[in-house]
Amino acid sequence: MPQASSISVLVVDDQLTMRALIRNALQQIGFKDIREAPDGEEALKQLLAKPANLVISDFNMPKMDGLALLRAVRSHPPIRQTAFVMLTGRADRELVQRAVQFGVNNYCVKPFTVQGLRDKIEQVFGQLT
Amino acid sequence: MMGQDLHQDDSGPTIKVHVTQGESHVSSDPNVVMTTVLGSCIAACLRDPTTGIGGMNHFLLPDAGDGRRNNGDAVRYGAYAMELLINGLLKKGARRDRLEAKIFGGGKLFDGLSDVGASNAAFAERFLRDEGIPIVSSSTGGLSARRVEFWPATGRVRQRLVAVDNAPVEVRRPVPIVPAVSNAGDLELF
Repeated sequence: MPQASSISVLVVDDQLTMRALIRNALQQIGFKDIREAPDGEEALKQLLAKPANLVISDFNMPKMDGLALLRAVRSHPPIRQTAFVMLTGRADRELVQRAVQFGVNNYCVKPFTVQGLRDKIEQVFGQLT
Repeated sequence: MMGQDLHQDDSGPTIKVHVTQGESHVSSDPNVVMTTVLGSCIAACLRDPTTGIGGMNHFLLPDAGDGRRNNGDAVRYGAYAMELLINGLLKKGARRDRLEAKIFGGGKLFDGLSDVGASNAAFAERFLRDEGIPIVSSSTGGLSARRVEFWPATGRVRQRLVAVDNAPVEVRRPVPIVPAVSNAGDLELF
């Protein structure tokens, strides 16, 4: 069983409040190495400089949205294996289908609970300790 | 769904869009006026003054002010309600760095141990401050309900206080309308 504390996470969302809420939820789950980026462009830059094990990304963002970030991650060999969880709204069924085509590992519908986010991450990594 | 009511008055055709709890609406149409009635709920009116694109939401945080339960879910819901409005504005062409806000509601319409309205207002103020969106005017708290009209194209707002006894029951004792959380997605990836 993987330890949450050994998994590095990059949280990508243009809203500071949402980043803080996701960070807080991840800390409650046990994650310790948590980084943040306000848009896809900055996230990609950060990942290429220092890879992460998991990306949790919003979809609607300026500069580069979540889907474009997902495609960019999957097309850069050094980081293409990064686990990628997309945060979406309720009405974004089509977006999820596109994200699946581009290799998303899972998705989580906003607003989410801590347990809901944990379940989604555990579906990717297995049960966390 | 939002109610739309077309009617004629002295200034030309007006399109009234009523925004009820859990909804948000965005427009740049100069004929549109968004209306809502608030008790302890909050309506945030956000607008990009350069493009004249504006919008209103209407929300009530679940369990806000209730110290017995985890407030994290309430804040996550509130942040989501604000995000829906902001994303709607950005999709129409508004710029985030130009957005300004007017907030209304958060009244205390009946005696109780907790002041749900104050918690809602505090959330909205903190969210907007953290996101760097200036609050250019606000009317929150108090003991009355509010009828609010917002013209997104100009940013004009008209507010009327409504005596509690004259307010609709859903305004006097609102029940949070919260979308399903966590595993709400219906696409099975696993």
